[in-house]
Amino acid sequence: MPKNITIFTTNTCAYCVMVKKWLGAKGYNFEEVNIDQQPERQKDAYELSGQLAVPVTVVTKEDDTREVIVGYNLARLAPAVS
Amino acid sequence: MNENEVHDVVTIGAGPTALTAAIYTTREDIETLLLDKGAIGGLAAITDWVDNYPGFPEGIAGLELADRLQKQAERFGAKIDFAEVSSLAKKGNVIELDTTDGKIVAKAVLIATGSDYKRLGIPGEDEYYARGVHFCATCDGAFYRDRKLVVVGGGNSAAQEAVFLTRYATHIDMLVRGPKMRASDVLQKEVTKHSDKITVHYNTSTDKILGKDSKVVAVEGTENAKKKVTFETDGVFIFIGLKPNTTFLAGSGVELDEIGLVKTDEELHTNVAGIFCAGDVRSGATMQIASAAGEGATAALNIRKYLEELERNNP
Ligand SMILES: Cc1cc2nc3c(=O)[nH]c(=O)nc-3n(C[C@H](O)[C@H](O)[C@H](O)COP(=O)(O)OP(=O)(O)OC[C@H]3O[C@@H](n4cnc5c(N)ncnc54)[C@H](O)[C@@H]3O)c2cc1C
Repeated sequence: MPKNITIFTTNTCAYCVMVKKWLGAKGYNFEEVNIDQQPERQKDAYELSGQLAVPVTVVTKEDDTREVIVGYNLARLAPAVS
Repeated sequence: MNENEVHDVVTIGAGPTALTAAIYTTREDIETLLLDKGAIGGLAAITDWVDNYPGFPEGIAGLELADRLQKQAERFGAKIDFAEVSSLAKKGNVIELDTTDGKIVAKAVLIATGSDYKRLGIPGEDEYYARGVHFCATCDGAFYRDRKLVVVGGGNSAAQEAVFLTRYATHIDMLVRGPKMRASDVLQKEVTKHSDKITVHYNTSTDKILGKDSKVVAVEGTENAKKKVTFETDGVFIFIGLKPNTTFLAGSGVELDEIGLVKTDEELHTNVAGIFCAGDVRSGATMQIASAAGEGATAALNIRKYLEELERNNP
């Protein structure tokens, strides 16, 4: 089980909705940072991912290591949260 | 996934076509599983605003329409799984699908995989992907607040997305390869309404995307096939058309047309019994959400007929 999951999203991003739906269906809790509502957090998403794209999902594990996944990428998301 | 379970209907894709088909099948108590590798609601979900879907006189956000379609299908018992189909094959009276969730077996399959964005295939496009090169305005537009952009393309999607991007960008250079836009008159008028922010460059090819320090800084093009032009920019959004999602059908025996769209008869049945196709991925489709919904309903009714015949012939 991860310690914490944060997703950077925007209002109009369908793949952000998909990451949230997928995490919800698997029973994971997450914190959402909407960069349309909090534009000042946009630079955090960029610094974490190195990309100008959302969703950015940050999975913090029990040992405090972090995995950053850009996009709706189940091949990376599923092992990261398990 | 239970490998021994035989589903009545499996749809490949969960866009407007498949979700509508599922509303019809599940209301008739036909068990239906939808598989999607991307966004539930398909391209409709990534469309900012839809003004031409009947029943919504003020228009509706694509994401909301997708959500409503999903809820309506689920209300009657449709199940949606997050999975990608990599191949399928007819085995006796059933169809076997290889998916990221294992093998799935169905009596009838609806191919409703729509299409994906085409790429330009120019230098810089792959290198700066998601670092200044984008294919989805509603996904990544927010990173370009108060920045300059280039939009490549002159069709409906390019026009629609350029207009969407004006809510963030200070200026957009729109590069159109031909002497005019292919976008509908309504959308061209929308572009003109935003001429304070959008400059359209006709007869302009897009040749190269230039970057510095891992960010896009400019786009190089050619005007009228001779004059080199450079557009300084912070990002490029590319909308030059769509290619059908049919590569997974290689080896399945399902017949495609010359551009890779699935051929069907009037009942939306492919040449392989039990495999139907509808929506954007079907040869002859009109590529609109309303027609996708219409085709989804037609396919569902024909699938019901097929399942009844299958039952009658194999009691
Ligand atoms: C930018 C843009 C704006 C548009 N605006 C409008 C508009 O205003 N009005 C309008 O009527 N139409 C509009 N359209 C067209 C409309 O979105 C499509 O006609 C409609 O979404 C087609 O529905 P579909 O279900 O056939 O395919 P899609 O919506 O493309 O859905 C197909 C689904 O299949 C999934 N899939 C593909 N391959 C696989 C696989 N191997 N395994 C599992 N899943 C798979 C995809 O992830 C996708 O979710 C627009 C399109 C674009 C690109």
